[in-house]
Amino acid sequence: MAPLATVEDVRAAFAAGLRDVASPADLQELRNRFLGRKRGAVTALLRSVAEASPDERRELGRQANALKQEIEQALAARREASAADAPTAGDDGRHSPTEKPAAAEGSAGAEVARGSGVHDRISGRGAPAAPLSSAVLDVTLPGREVRVGHRHPLTAVREEIEEIFTGLGFEVVEGPEVEDDYHNFEALNMPPEHPARDMQDTLYLDAPLRTRSDRPGTLLRTHTSGVQIRYMETHEPPVRIIAPGVVYRRDTPDLTHSPMFQQVEGLLVDEDVTMTDLKGTLECFLQRLFTPDTQVMFRPSFFPYTEPSAEVFMSCVFCRGDGCAVCKRTGWLEVLGSGMVHPAVLEAVGYDSERLTGWAFGVGIDRLAILKYRVQDIRAFYENDLQLLEQFPL
Amino acid sequence: MRILVSWLREIVPVPVGIDDLAEALTRHGFEVSSVDPAPEIPGRPAAGPDAVLDLEITTNRPDCLSVLGIAREVAAIYANPLRWPPLAEPPAANAEVAVTIEEAGAAACPRYASSLADVRVAPSPAWMAARLEAAGVRPINGVVDVTNYVMLELGHPMHAFDLDRLAGAELRVRPARPAETVRTLDGETRALGDDMLVIADAERAQAVAGVMGGADSEVTGATARVALESAWFDPISVRRTSRRLALSTDASYRFERGADIDAPVRAMRRAHALLAEIGAGAPRGGIADCYPAPRTPTTVALRHARIGRVLGIDVAPDFVPVILERLGFRIETGPDEAGAPTWRVTAPGHRVDVHREIDLIEEVARHHGYHRLPSTFPPLRRPPAAPADSLERRRLLRRVLTAGGCSEAITYGFIEEAAGRPFVAGGDELVRLANPLSETYAVLRPALLPGLVDALVYNRRRGRRDIRLFEIGRRFSAAAGETPGVAVVVAGSAAPEHWGDGQRWRTGDRGGRVPPADFYDLAGIVERLLDALGVAPAFAAPAGAGPAWFVPGRSAVVQASAPGEGTLVTLGHAGQLEPAVAAARGLPAGSGAIHAAELDLDAVVRAGGDRRRLVASPPPRFPAIVRDIAIAVERTLPAAAVRETIRAVAPDSLVAVRAFDRYEGPGIGEGQVSLAFRLTFRRGDRTLTDAEVQRTMREIGTALRTTHQATFR
Ligand SMILES: [Zn+2]
Repeated sequence: MAPLATVEDVRAAFAAGLRDVASPADLQELRNRFLGRKRGAVTALLRSVAEASPDERRELGRQANALKQEIEQALAARREASAADAPTAGDDGRHSPTEKPAAAEGSAGAEVARGSGVHDRISGRGAPAAPLSSAVLDVTLPGREVRVGHRHPLTAVREEIEEIFTGLGFEVVEGPEVEDDYHNFEALNMPPEHPARDMQDTLYLDAPLRTRSDRPGTLLRTHTSGVQIRYMETHEPPVRIIAPGVVYRRDTPDLTHSPMFQQVEGLLVDEDVTMTDLKGTLECFLQRLFTPDTQVMFRPSFFPYTEPSAEVFMSCVFCRGDGCAVCKRTGWLEVLGSGMVHPAVLEAVGYDSERLTGWAFGVGIDRLAILKYRVQDIRAFYENDLQLLEQFPL
Repeated sequence: MRILVSWLREIVPVPVGIDDLAEALTRHGFEVSSVDPAPEIPGRPAAGPDAVLDLEITTNRPDCLSVLGIAREVAAIYANPLRWPPLAEPPAANAEVAVTIEEAGAAACPRYASSLADVRVAPSPAWMAARLEAAGVRPINGVVDVTNYVMLELGHPMHAFDLDRLAGAELRVRPARPAETVRTLDGETRALGDDMLVIADAERAQAVAGVMGGADSEVTGATARVALESAWFDPISVRRTSRRLALSTDASYRFERGADIDAPVRAMRRAHALLAEIGAGAPRGGIADCYPAPRTPTTVALRHARIGRVLGIDVAPDFVPVILERLGFRIETGPDEAGAPTWRVTAPGHRVDVHREIDLIEEVARHHGYHRLPSTFPPLRRPPAAPADSLERRRLLRRVLTAGGCSEAITYGFIEEAAGRPFVAGGDELVRLANPLSETYAVLRPALLPGLVDALVYNRRRGRRDIRLFEIGRRFSAAAGETPGVAVVVAGSAAPEHWGDGQRWRTGDRGGRVPPADFYDLAGIVERLLDALGVAPAFAAPAGAGPAWFVPGRSAVVQASAPGEGTLVTLGHAGQLEPAVAAARGLPAGSGAIHAAELDLDAVVRAGGDRRRLVASPPPRFPAIVRDIAIAVERTLPAAAVRETIRAVAPDSLVAVRAFDRYEGPGIGEGQVSLAFRLTFRRGDRTLTDAEVQRTMREIGTALRTTHQATFR
């Protein structure tokens, strides 16, 4: 006869056996192995008590009986747990993965399908706290989904821009989307019939709309420059603002054009504001929005409201300046329009154009988002497909 | 503007290769958008590498819409002299054709030069035709081609009239007469307005000034004598006419940006030289130059110190006059100002963009080189203002709504009329666009919901079932103008499905474990977002059926009290969207209910507290006593009425009343509903006794019985 197992050996063997239980049949088999009248391990242990020395008999008897109770409790608890799960398990077990209701909704469907195969196993739900009887969990099943929404990617970029400029001491200001001709054009050195008005194909209202100012709105703003004019009309310099917002152009939608898009314009007016400050600020902005090694290049351009004007290019985010199809092999991407505020604009708001200088810039948020997230088609931003929206950071 | 480099070389030396030239022009503000191979120009072999450069000319530089204009820049960049193309010497003037600028036309036409020529109309020589084609102009015949050639080369538009088809041997520059028409060269008969300038013969209009000539005096194979026009037309007049006629030409494009008022005679002399060169004609007499009030050139003071103040760099004082002279400006040195030089700079006629000092600073910056500008950072002289409340509020809204499971949509501000129409409140009207891109974008959105419904439909059609979207944006209506709003749409299940949730419900047309989202899921979102903005909303049944875009009886008006306002402020509405509204936008059948809410953010702001003035209260030190109460009342009685009755009776120790159950059916009388409330009592200064709560509960019971005929369960 093999030497008798100790109480601890039997307890360990039972714990191991319980861990492997996957069905009611397994549970019955485990019971027989330990509590069976003939070959049960605990039964054998109890029998051995009689053969122990008188010194050991009392203690061994107490331990063996305690173990027997523990095992009985554990088996009962497990039986209860599996009974409680049975209706759910039976109900779900009839579903094939393809019938799963959530199958169309991305990964959740796949997870549910993966779970269905184990429903006839003893579930861990409702298991009592006793260490030996704690039921085994299938930890590979998915957790309860916490439903959170996502910011729109254009908002994510816009807020990032706002944060960068707030950090540089700029104030964020806003204004109306329905504008009057004066604030959209005239105050910006674009009198009626100015050919530069063609650069921004404008959408006009059928009838003037009342606004909060004394000028009725007649058009959809083509840029947020009107916000800057309004700010200067009501604030003394220095001015250090950015004006983000939606703007409208009469552009037929295509890969790179949308008749509505988002823009941020910046304006700095103070004594001794220079074009080199403009370059330094935009460099800082683009390096933070993209990567610290982003390079910035200015090229002469024309806008009626700035002079000198510059188109701003940054090193291509796709090829890091080596040249690729996106940057047309130049290594540079045009991202911004900018320049020194035209003295006529300062004069239109009653500022002293001799004492003050200023600079302004304008950038399409959509364009930056396209470059930042490599979105192929600007129109995708306005379809609001959740499968796109959910890819962006919260 | 397409520039043939070999043509350019006739006027200025190009000491670099094509790529370097393109790069230099781009760096000076003339973006080369493409470099195309040059066609062969028969009889005019290129003296070096050739190509056609396609240049983007900004609207302020019409002088560069010509070979000469680009040549001037190239001359300045490489410090080379210009070589003028040959000009004919004008013989003595003759009076065979009388030119009159009528007084009413003088403002729009301050200068009109004309001359006559005997011509032999034939195709142009191959070299001229090839150059025109390289520049994108179709060759027609020698005479017309010469006028176009001059325009491309010198930048000045010209026109040729068939002299024998002009009535009365005269040209009159005058406004169009009432109801006057002209058949233009493109064959269209155009109705003219009295603010349009025409060139007429003794009887009628023969050309729209600066825009297009008339077909009736067109140069044809039969033409023997021509009257050539080289004039200067006012930019605004030309632009207005061109726009009104929807007719843009090479000539109108140049005139509306600004032609060189000094150029007409020069262009005429060049035209005669070319007519002679190609054997197409010879002048009959000289050039009649009608220029009654010659313009004085613009003179501008330029200070070296100002250049530095604007650009932030120290440009060498010697560089300034040198570069401006190379560009054709006349320079006089002025007195030093504060130890720095100044100049008086006179602009040549072609520089219509130069009016003031800053225009010259731009020239200095361009030729000094933008690439040489260093990067500096502007000092902050004053603490920046605190972020605007509106901005903070929107960020908070986004945080709350995304945390509540809604994703942000951004939809177009203009929509289809059919999409907007159902959301127009009674008595209000849609705001229409005068020139919409298409019917899809014809009206400004009266609410955010039409765009959100479309976005929801878009996602639903792509197989999504659980859809929660919100948008923060502006709405437009004739009555309210432009207002900020926030809107939410909810469709699909109330919560994400989980394998561990046993109960099964029906959502839409497919089985699910969780119930479909209902009005109260939406109400919870609305309550949460308003709470974040410091607003305690009250939901009330709307008077009547409620907004037409909701199912009758299944919508609420969301209200709140506003500081300093006696009545409740209406913030907006929430409810179940009328199925027909979504169906009309293409929502597939069987999609289930859509719940939607839209709030006016201006009203929310009025009702909101100042979040920055929050004063914390210490956590309660004494225990609360909780009592549940279940009553049966009329089915139509709103829970809010019961709540108000309880509140009215209870002392201040009642800190919360919350409905936690509602039941209709077996065990409850016909037309009755069972409502259960949980009441929490607590005092801040001592522990409440059971006895006093018991007393309060009895009083509440009495009040509910008398006010609402409630029975206790
Ligand atoms: Zn690249």
